[in-house]
Amino acid sequence: MTQLDERAETAARASRPGGRLSSPLVRYIAIRLVVSLLLLVGVTIVTFVLTNLVPASPVTAALGERASSDPKIVAAFKAAQGLDKPLPVQYAIYLGHLLQGNLGTSIQTHDAVTQDLAAAFPATVELALFVIVLSVIIGLGLGLIAALRHNRLPDQIIRVVSLLGISVPTFWLAVAVYFLFFFVLHWAPGSGRLDPADTPPPTVTGLFTVDALLAGQPAVFFDALSHLVLPGLVLTLYTVGLLVRFARSAILDVLSQDYVRAARAKGLPGGQVVFRYVLRGALLPILTIVGLAFGSLLSGTVLTEQVFAWGGIGQYAFRAATALDLPAVLGVGLIVGVVYIATNFVIDVIYGVVDPRVRVG
Amino acid sequence: MSRVPVRPAALGATALAAALVLAGCSAGGGSSNSSSGGPTKTLVVDNTFDLKTSDPARAFELTGSIVDKAIYETALTFQGDDTTKPLPQLATFKESSDNKVLTLTLNGKHAFSSGNPVTIDDIVWSYKRVQAIAGNPSFLLTDQSTGKNLDIAKTSSTTMTITDTNPNPALPFILPNPSLGVLDSKVLTKHGGTTTKSDGAEQYLNGHSAGSGPYALTSYSATTKVVFGPNPHYVGSKPTYGRVVLQNVTGPSQKIDVQGNQAQIATGLNAQQVQGIGSSLKVLKSTSPDVGYLWLNQNPTYGKGVTNNAAFVTAVRKGLNYQDILAVAGTGSSQPGGMVPSQFLGSIKPDATNTYDASAAKAALTKAGYKGQTVTLSYPTDATLSGVEFSTLAQKVQSQLEAVGVKVKLAGTPISTLLDAYRAGKLQAGIMYWGPDFPDPSDYTTFSPGEALGLRAGWAASMSPEVTKAKQAAEASTGTGRAAAYEAWQRAANQNGPFVPLLQPARYFVTASSVTDVKPNAVWTVDLAAIK
Repeated sequence: MTQLDERAETAARASRPGGRLSSPLVRYIAIRLVVSLLLLVGVTIVTFVLTNLVPASPVTAALGERASSDPKIVAAFKAAQGLDKPLPVQYAIYLGHLLQGNLGTSIQTHDAVTQDLAAAFPATVELALFVIVLSVIIGLGLGLIAALRHNRLPDQIIRVVSLLGISVPTFWLAVAVYFLFFFVLHWAPGSGRLDPADTPPPTVTGLFTVDALLAGQPAVFFDALSHLVLPGLVLTLYTVGLLVRFARSAILDVLSQDYVRAARAKGLPGGQVVFRYVLRGALLPILTIVGLAFGSLLSGTVLTEQVFAWGGIGQYAFRAATALDLPAVLGVGLIVGVVYIATNFVIDVIYGVVDPRVRVG
Repeated sequence: MSRVPVRPAALGATALAAALVLAGCSAGGGSSNSSSGGPTKTLVVDNTFDLKTSDPARAFELTGSIVDKAIYETALTFQGDDTTKPLPQLATFKESSDNKVLTLTLNGKHAFSSGNPVTIDDIVWSYKRVQAIAGNPSFLLTDQSTGKNLDIAKTSSTTMTITDTNPNPALPFILPNPSLGVLDSKVLTKHGGTTTKSDGAEQYLNGHSAGSGPYALTSYSATTKVVFGPNPHYVGSKPTYGRVVLQNVTGPSQKIDVQGNQAQIATGLNAQQVQGIGSSLKVLKSTSPDVGYLWLNQNPTYGKGVTNNAAFVTAVRKGLNYQDILAVAGTGSSQPGGMVPSQFLGSIKPDATNTYDASAAKAALTKAGYKGQTVTLSYPTDATLSGVEFSTLAQKVQSQLEAVGVKVKLAGTPISTLLDAYRAGKLQAGIMYWGPDFPDPSDYTTFSPGEALGLRAGWAASMSPEVTKAKQAAEASTGTGRAAAYEAWQRAANQNGPFVPLLQPARYFVTASSVTDVKPNAVWTVDLAAIK
């Protein structure tokens, strides 16, 4: 099919009842949703099997020395956790509960896993949003500069900086940044999401900055925002390092395209060429990496959360895994699966919006 | 490639400026120092959480004991860091001459945070609830040898008895445990509390206080922080701090927190971390009641004819340079003579059985007929002994034993996987630790032949009759004879047993200079309400 034929086909589809986008896009979304659901079931099976393959018993991990020596206590614990049933039955029960929105009770916190996740996930979301916004602004900007100044000094400097961002170990960077900016320079507040003297705002979204604004508490808003800076900086350095490299590469590709040369030949101003043609053309690969980075941030950043006592999903997952807290591990596995599937889904939809060829395909 | 006529530097500067403005806005908002301003004095305590619940009947973790000590009163208590003398709190006590019956009598008037008075029914109800739930702390109210529940009975409106079928002189030392905190039964029964295994009050207790202690829960999260406010009905002295924040922070961040006055107390620093911490802070050093020990499996199947050889055990005891191990663990650590920690009744000092003597070790190896077989030494890789890495201890033990001619292979594994094999008694040798369940030597007779910990080292009941006899004598002893009896049991165990006590690490609390009266306690770590 030639390009003209494709355009004709597209026009014909658009003229049919049901609108321009509806049939291919709706069908595409429906298929993706079904695939996503199957993927989620797969995630539960894999997580369930893997956690049960660990050569250790949650009974041993959860009960103390005395209690684990008492058959009466061990039996009570197994019954309470459903561990006295065969593995397939345990999985079936888990799935049954899952369909009712029940992820079980955490062995570590003795709370419903849904309740734990509802408390931890917004903390991670707030940090991830902060980081991704900063990273996109800085990463895209630096990537653009590096591409436009290809092989010149700014390009070399930016490449070294991005390499550093990716290479420096997060745990070291987090402690170093905390020490420097909190203790030495007093430029930033200490660990946690709020000053210990502050009370969190009434929970609406779980994002302290948003909830503080909704509650009309500007002091708490700025406190929450200031606590985002250091962990945000650590994660932003890494994410920017990643984005710069992809943005630079994608922009360099587009800069060598004919239509960019044509735009320049027509005498369009440089800014217009960059923003209307170059950036738009480079957007798809950049979107992909932004999506992956955002998914990764939402899945929890264990080391940064540990250092800054953030109380997010990463810290929760770490403790659950080391304590063999199977319901919590399964819950985290599920939420990470949902995050990645949802992120990819959203990116795919944005693809369709940004690039008409995807809609038609 | 030709150059596009645009101003990239300006473009980048715009992007950077936008990011910096965002960061700058936020950085300007907060305060770097929280602590004690305003009308309510706030105390911030950093702790590495192992918290699971604040329900006393289910909690048996270090952080849980700090939380419950602040919220709940117990029938008996200890003063400060002295765990050798139980004292009345909610009740006075009297033991029968045979140590089988302990009578508790209500001690003055106390009130729960609801305003309800503390009654003898509340104490009976709380104890029966602990027994019924069969959680981690329920063993505190069972007979240690039979595993049967102690009999708890109200005898009048102000008295009750706790009866054991065997002498139980440890009971007054057990009752101060925060897991035996007394709950407001009237409030709890309205929120699912029962004295049966179907008790459903835990969720309520993880958000509300039902105790008569100095503090009440303001907010609770098992993963991030617990905030306490005053209990308006507390009958004791009002705590200095009207608000206490106990927050979950890892060791390295605790150091920075306390240096930067984000927290006033750091409870989780090790010997290396407290070095050079700064003269504006106070470092409180005490000896941890945790005992790190080495064990050698006596079961021929797992000892493989090596560790289950008495002369080989002697060689290991003599081949370890204990002072060198203490140096690795940092200043303030000490060598216990037996399994009972130095601060408890019945502890002993190191003697000839556990003193470094390389030539004696080599002679014992020859006597054992050791032919260079490799001994596998297991240890947890993701746990520490009060901040001392087990891998560091294991490497030190390996190098010392190899110096006297014993080949050692290190086998570090995560503790969750190690515990299964250890508790099943299937490991040839290893390093582990024991923290006190209650501050009495009877807690340690489990390191005897045929007992739970003894069996983990393959030490069957029939193996060392002299140790079993000494243990039985210790358990039967009462009054002033107890200390000597437990000392004799430990000496017998050192002569014949597979456990080699290595060290009690130092425990450090770092506090702001303004903070006083921080008393480390072997049972509840620290009493938040006593801090000034």
